[in-house]
Amino acid sequence: MAETTTQTAAVPAPYAEDAVTAAAERRGEPAWLVERRREAARAFAATPMPTPALRPWKYTDVTALDIGGFAPVGQSPTTVQGTPPAGGFAGSLADALADAAHAEQVRQHLGTLVPATEGKFTAANQALWTGGAYVYVPRGQAFEQPVVVTLDVPAGDAGAVFPRLLLVAEAQGEVNVVLRNTSGDAPLLAPGVFEIFAGPDAKVRVLVDGRWGDATQEFTTIRSRLDRSADVLVASLALGGRVVKQTTEALLEGDGANSTIRGVALGDGEQHFDFVTLQDHSGEHTTSDVAIKSALAGASKSIYYGITRVGETAAGAEANQENRNLLLSGRAKADSDPVLEILTSQVIRCGHAATVGPVDQEALFYLQSRGLSSRQALQLMVAGFFRTVLAGIPLEGLEEDVSAVVVEKLATAEL
Amino acid sequence: MSEPILELRDLRVSITEHPDIQIVKGVDLTIRPGEVHALMGPNGSGKSTLANAVAGSPAYKLDSGQILFKGEDVTAMTADARARMGMFLSFQYPTAIPGVTMVNFLREALKARRGQEMPAREFLGELRETLGTLKMDESFARRYVNDGFSGGEKKRAEILQLGMLKPDLAILDETDSGLDVDALRTVAEGVNALRTPHIGILIITHYQRILNYITPEVVHVLVEGRIARSGGAELALEIEENGYDPILRELGAVEEVVS
Repeated sequence: MAETTTQTAAVPAPYAEDAVTAAAERRGEPAWLVERRREAARAFAATPMPTPALRPWKYTDVTALDIGGFAPVGQSPTTVQGTPPAGGFAGSLADALADAAHAEQVRQHLGTLVPATEGKFTAANQALWTGGAYVYVPRGQAFEQPVVVTLDVPAGDAGAVFPRLLLVAEAQGEVNVVLRNTSGDAPLLAPGVFEIFAGPDAKVRVLVDGRWGDATQEFTTIRSRLDRSADVLVASLALGGRVVKQTTEALLEGDGANSTIRGVALGDGEQHFDFVTLQDHSGEHTTSDVAIKSALAGASKSIYYGITRVGETAAGAEANQENRNLLLSGRAKADSDPVLEILTSQVIRCGHAATVGPVDQEALFYLQSRGLSSRQALQLMVAGFFRTVLAGIPLEGLEEDVSAVVVEKLATAEL
Repeated sequence: MSEPILELRDLRVSITEHPDIQIVKGVDLTIRPGEVHALMGPNGSGKSTLANAVAGSPAYKLDSGQILFKGEDVTAMTADARARMGMFLSFQYPTAIPGVTMVNFLREALKARRGQEMPAREFLGELRETLGTLKMDESFARRYVNDGFSGGEKKRAEILQLGMLKPDLAILDETDSGLDVDALRTVAEGVNALRTPHIGILIITHYQRILNYITPEVVHVLVEGRIARSGGAELALEIEENGYDPILRELGAVEEVVS
């Protein structure tokens, strides 16, 4: 009894093992999942919060963040829209688990690429996710239209949501997925876990379209495992939120695999963005390309820490990392740290580039000399700055959509 | 006589980052509607500085003097306010703006110039026509502003903007430099197509050759930040034949007497 009391004090009710188990059983989850949730709850209790002493957390100090203070927001308000090809699936994880044709695939993959034990936020997610999405592409099949996963937290709902995606693309499978996240102005915590399995020659495009409210804090791990000649693109739009921290990793295991990581962040006020990327090459002739761009107004901040790792077995690898930060106000800040770890001498090309600075004054004058006010000129320049990163993401209207957000946000931003 | 389009009164200009270095040292210049003036001079005489200062570049600082545009004192106005009033500078080195397509840029610039959005059909029609006049392919409009443009393409893109924006004053800063004969002729034709009794044009050039295609009413020679001589179109021919040396020598003699 005394022991239970101690545990309750350390881990608030919804995150405690008993509560996690009871909630999972109430949802009628299979025994294996209930067991994994229990493990996750134990991992959550045992894992300390990351501290700035850990390099990926150097500029995002969460030691004062009390995850337990954010109670889960009822049933996670997620909808999944998509028409799968024969034998495929696009829907909630709960529906997939209830479907005998898909439950086994889910069991074999869920939580295996991003284990709950990896960290505080991943443990919280594994223990408490509801309404996650599952996308399955059978061998040689393709989704004709993008799968759209919408997480729309109603304005006024405070607490925690746990975005979750499991994507399994078999050999030669093709799919585009868009994850749209929105929330109101109430304090919200969103620890997300996205797992992407790309089989041989599979082609997967995932766009995370983040338009959180001003008091949302997102901590997401996105990891993809690429088989032979698989091609995976993960792109992120960080257009809202108070804190957006995303760790995007590509494990290039199969020979000839190709990973593309793209990111765009538009900050104002006290917004804080933190991107961590890993391009882990172990297959031969693997290629990867990271490009992340931030435009920062007000006192917003953007941090980039990216690692390109080329293992001993990755002869013939090619990798590129690019991080560019535009400071639109004197109070905005950015830190950029691209890192190369090359363990083989047989690399074709490994490049990295990082810049932090104000907008090009000559370009600004050029646009002003054509009648645009300095604010209009910046709107145009920032939209263009992002456009060069978004080109190549096969989603109709994306560039126009992002340009419209830039124009709207910079209309009132502190410059 | 009609009111001047541009009037510079004892303009003195230095570099914002080096306020102790004065480049333009007292220039008076009056351009009336329908007139083409050529501003010539050796390298480093202050031609581009003058052009940029008149257009309102923050890289330059006005130490004293006045800029009157269509009778209004614009000395304290920002570059964009001057542009919206109808001033246009064709840049010597146009800046690349990655990610911004020519067509988007032109639409925004026209909107700013006219104070209202132009109907899409009308805009595209005008764009097509102007591209045609300048012998430019329509695909040009989809490219990013000056990004990866050849020297000649950049200059044509400047004249394309000039043609679309239809300013009251066009300052062409070495628009002829780096152009082969055919491109020069095309650019000059583009400028001539805009000549009306209402527009004032200031052509800044190192060489006389563009003036074979665009005949100026007045030619000024700028030396060390001051207008050393003004004359008719024949002055440009004289410079073409003898270079700037005779004028420099003459000026040197004058200065000797003064000192």
